[in-house]
Amino acid sequence: MMTESNNPVAIKKKGNHSLEIKWEDGHVSLYSFRYLRQHCSCAGCVEEWTGKKTLNQDAIPLDLSGLKVETTGNYALSFSFSDHHDTGIYHFDHLRAICPCAMCKA
Amino acid sequence: MTDNLTEKLILSVLGQVNDPALKKDIVSLGYVQNLKIDGSRVTFTLALPTPLFPSKEKMREDSERVLSVVPGVSSVEISMKTEIRMEPNARGVSGVKHIIAVGSGKGGVGKSTVAVNLAAIFSEYGAKVGMVDGDIYGPSLPIMMGAKNAELQQNERGIIPIEAHGIKFMSMGLLSKGSAPLIWRGPMAHKAVQESLLRVDWGEIDYLFVDMPPGTGDVHLTLVQTVPVTGAVIVTTPQDVGMTISLKTFRMFEQTKVPVLGLIENMSAYLCPHCGKQDDIFGNGTVAGEAQRLRVPFLGSIPLNKKIREYADQGMPLILVDPLTAGAYVDIADKLATEIYVRSYNKKTLIIEEEPEDTADAFAV
Repeated sequence: MMTESNNPVAIKKKGNHSLEIKWEDGHVSLYSFRYLRQHCSCAGCVEEWTGKKTLNQDAIPLDLSGLKVETTGNYALSFSFSDHHDTGIYHFDHLRAICPCAMCKA
Repeated sequence: MTDNLTEKLILSVLGQVNDPALKKDIVSLGYVQNLKIDGSRVTFTLALPTPLFPSKEKMREDSERVLSVVPGVSSVEISMKTEIRMEPNARGVSGVKHIIAVGSGKGGVGKSTVAVNLAAIFSEYGAKVGMVDGDIYGPSLPIMMGAKNAELQQNERGIIPIEAHGIKFMSMGLLSKGSAPLIWRGPMAHKAVQESLLRVDWGEIDYLFVDMPPGTGDVHLTLVQTVPVTGAVIVTTPQDVGMTISLKTFRMFEQTKVPVLGLIENMSAYLCPHCGKQDDIFGNGTVAGEAQRLRVPFLGSIPLNKKIREYADQGMPLILVDPLTAGAYVDIADKLATEIYVRSYNKKTLIIEEEPEDTADAFAV
């Protein structure tokens, strides 16, 4: 479902390690690229029918970095990671849902 | 007396005239251009962000009215022109300002016919228009545009689109001739859509209409993932029971954050060729009611007209020959164009900023 607040107003790629998104409702999310890579929902990382994660999150290198950030249509971001993975489409709703801040995790 | 006429004075008077859709004055919106004061004569151009549909005359009339009472003004001459503004997040397809998807829930509702006639009416009123036949499995544009034998050519910038009735278009139907079917799996369909959008030398296009296949599928996903779509129009008939099928299309656009610019009711009534009376053979008012429930604009109704098929088969958009049909389309196109520029005006550009490494952030979760 489209919720208006799940629209970014500013996106900042901070070096190769983190990404900051400011949302319409003023909330700011800060993600490391490793965390984003671990939460990839592409068909290679999540089983399409069951939704089961097939990606071993711990196998993602600690020093994994993000090389490129691009918008996909009006509704998502896509990333190129240093492990050559780039097939994930991160819906804004998904990105908001996985915000790692203490408030969202609580 | 005439010495008192200054640009500042004229602009402050014109500042009383509003764009009715944006509720902002035409001076601060930048519509007033080439203002010249020659003694007591005032001339300028109204550059509007939509095609020059009849309703836009009101801004010209309002301007004339407020200027006519200014002492020292003897005559006012206003010319109008179209100056469509770029969708704030437009990128990907070079030279194209807006991409409009024309979709439907199911087949047979006249989506392609509506798309062709919409494109034609935008072009008639001064916009530069392009079309992509997204219905790769049953491409109908070449026939409807009267160019089924056209050959695609290429230059160093890409495929040269075919031009007919002032509209540039690209169709996969031009690649597979006659009755040979296109039997493609998903990935091929995906590629075909991308090529018809991106590998084409469009030149300058204000509105690019994409005629979508019915329903929700590969082509839809490809379109919304490949380019930022300004918005979508959903064509339906009053008989599409409870609009359940069109609703799925609606939800798909919603989930991919493509704004639905409105619903169009096609085949709203049958126009009897003998007595000229309307008969609501598929029911009436259902689509307008549904639009209200979904809180999207209802753009208008198009009556069923026998001529539509005759002319479509001859490759002639009906609006170019039938004034009655043209009237219905002008109203719809006017509302649609307004919806497009109001949304673009209120939208901010989303930029991805790059910032050098901040060591503190490197340890974020």
